[in-house]
Amino acid sequence: MPNPTALMIVGALLFAIGVVGFLTRRNMIVMFLSTEVMFQGVLMNLVGMGLLHGNIQGQGLGIFVLVIAAVEAGLGLAIVVMLYRRRGTLDAENWRSLRG
Amino acid sequence: MELKTLAILIPLLPLAGSALVGAIGLRGLKDRSHWLVLAGVTAALFCAVSLFYQVNTELNRGGSETAAAIGAHAQIDPSQQVGYGKLAESFTIYEWIPAGAADWLNVTFRVDPLTIVMLLTVLSVSTMVVMYSVGYMRDHHGHAELGYERFFAFLGLFVFSMCMLVLAGNFLLLYLGWELVGLCSYLLIGFYYQKPSAAAAAKKAFLVNRIGDFGFGLGILLIYLTFNTLDYQEVFNMVANSKMAGDLALSTERITTIALLLFCGAMGKSAQLPLHVWLPDAMEGPTPVSALIHAATMVTAGVYMVARCSVIFAASPIAMWIVGAIGAATALFAATIALTQFDMKRILAYSTLSQLGYMFLGLGVGAFDSAMFHLYTHAFFKACLFLGAGSVMHAMAGEIDIRRFSGLRKAMPITYFTFLISGLALAGVPLLSAFWSKDEIIHAALASSTPWLGWIGLVTAFLTAFYTFRMIFMAFHNEERLPRGVEHAHESGVWMSAPLVLLAIGAVFAGYVGVTTGHGGFLGMFEPHGAFHHFLAPNFSDAKGHEMTVAAAQGVAHGAGEHGSESHWLMWLSSGLAFYGIFNAWYFYTRRPGIPLAIALASGSVYKLFYHKYYVDELYDLVFVRPLRRLGDMCYACDRFVINGILWIIAAIPRAIGFLLRGWQQGAMQGYALGMVVGLVVIMWWVLANA
Repeated sequence: MPNPTALMIVGALLFAIGVVGFLTRRNMIVMFLSTEVMFQGVLMNLVGMGLLHGNIQGQGLGIFVLVIAAVEAGLGLAIVVMLYRRRGTLDAENWRSLRG
Repeated sequence: MELKTLAILIPLLPLAGSALVGAIGLRGLKDRSHWLVLAGVTAALFCAVSLFYQVNTELNRGGSETAAAIGAHAQIDPSQQVGYGKLAESFTIYEWIPAGAADWLNVTFRVDPLTIVMLLTVLSVSTMVVMYSVGYMRDHHGHAELGYERFFAFLGLFVFSMCMLVLAGNFLLLYLGWELVGLCSYLLIGFYYQKPSAAAAAKKAFLVNRIGDFGFGLGILLIYLTFNTLDYQEVFNMVANSKMAGDLALSTERITTIALLLFCGAMGKSAQLPLHVWLPDAMEGPTPVSALIHAATMVTAGVYMVARCSVIFAASPIAMWIVGAIGAATALFAATIALTQFDMKRILAYSTLSQLGYMFLGLGVGAFDSAMFHLYTHAFFKACLFLGAGSVMHAMAGEIDIRRFSGLRKAMPITYFTFLISGLALAGVPLLSAFWSKDEIIHAALASSTPWLGWIGLVTAFLTAFYTFRMIFMAFHNEERLPRGVEHAHESGVWMSAPLVLLAIGAVFAGYVGVTTGHGGFLGMFEPHGAFHHFLAPNFSDAKGHEMTVAAAQGVAHGAGEHGSESHWLMWLSSGLAFYGIFNAWYFYTRRPGIPLAIALASGSVYKLFYHKYYVDELYDLVFVRPLRRLGDMCYACDRFVINGILWIIAAIPRAIGFLLRGWQQGAMQGYALGMVVGLVVIMWWVLANA
């Protein structure tokens, strides 16, 4: 039986790593990976909360989020590939012109 | 066929023709489009004739037998039918708006003598006009004009609408038909919509009619409010018994208000003063349309409606007086204008106004059957005159100003003779149709409590003879002269001449159904109040009172008994006036062509007043059109500056905020992410601080 507090600490750490990675890197694939790491952090939190409350809804919701994250990852990577084909680089700075 | 089947077929046949032409005319039929509509209208005419014979047989059988025969398949209990009784049948064709107990929202057709007279008039003239249009709507090489199929589709739609109007068994359906004919009138006046004047005339006709229809609609609402029903029979019964829906006595004020509101509609549709301004302009439409809609049928809808509601009108002496006075005023007014115009179609339009004025004069003095008689005879000779004018116009390449051509008698013999015969009828020359009908109206007016209406009628009769023959002498007599661009005048083809001849025959003989022989009247042969009046008698028995009903129903001419000698001098006087008018026209326009100009110069301002149509259009322009346009401009300015301004200000707020915030968006994704993280931290801090 894992400790919910430990799970949530791991989740918070994962989220923080993801945030830092997202903020510091310009490579779109790495930024994308960082968002996935943030995702997993939130997921860990969900599971931890579920344990804290003594039910399986947290884990159930976790599975759902996992599936959707996989789908979303496919979509996101496809977009990254398209962007790469357009400009021949993965640098996010290249797309500043998309600002409002 | 059964009455009900016939009554349904009569409007549906033209509608079917019209709808088919509308659907496939442009692609498949093109210049053969007329066949479907012609077939529909002709078939409807035969149905109407068959209907007439059936009802006439019923009428002649008379008595309890008829009541029993009709009671068998009529909706209304025969015992309820006061006065009208026996000859009115109502059929519920379709439950239009099922509204529980209120069964007046049905499509109900009513067949009675008045309906049949109108149907026969409308459909016979329509058939002639559709036939004529086949020739008219083509150029000299026989190629169909642009919009040929559209023209016939509209014509069919008009015939359908008019049949609906006269067949209606309740006020709601009457209103439907009323608006439908207005729509068709609009569509057909604006047939040449590329021409700005035609488009303007169509708009004018529609708007002026709308003023009248507004009153008409209010009248119908007031009828419903008062009687709690819109069914003709029930309303008329209640009026005859002077009762309201709640068994309260009906006040004279209420009935006068209803009558006058209804008359508003009649003034608009039948172009009576002061709503007459649209009719002369309506001549912008193709000539067959002028003949059919703006002379013979649609404009008489007002007369029909007042005759239909004769019970309501007869119950209010004030309303009757107003109807008669407006009729007489319009008759005289329009005749004086017609004296000075040069456009053949406009002269005829003013003549139509004048003749409609006669009809209202007749209605106003209680001579409902005489007014209907005049409506019926007028349809033939006026349609013939218009079609003759169209024939001239066709030959003169669209020129219609009688100063530009003359002496067409030799070149266009058929047009000339038919025009002459109808002109003689219009002038009221003895033994032609209008002589009988017009004299009856004048006679009734003189015998009524307001004899001055009759004197106005007589003056107008003289003017009518004069302006009609002024036009005939100027256009067809003297030496032959053609407008520029026309090498030789030619007679119209058989499609156009045949209706002219048939209508001219109608113009001569139509009057004879309204006279009886052998009572020793005019020329010792003819008496007014013949079969026509006998046929219509059941419709007007309530309105006219018992005594006259008995006289009319027995076919006894009241000219013979009550005022035989009076009608003699009247007949002599009116025919004398007709001949005097014709003689004057002949003298002025063939013998001494200088006289008209001299009179015009001598009378100066009076001539100008007539020539400029009493400046009514200018007056309306000044009093109504311009202030309304100014109001419209003001509303537009208000909309543009005030309302749009407020909207602009409201829209400016988010725009300004956006302008301020735009600087934050640099397009660097890390910047956004940092913003989010900071936001997240702030929220977390806030949540924790408040926990």
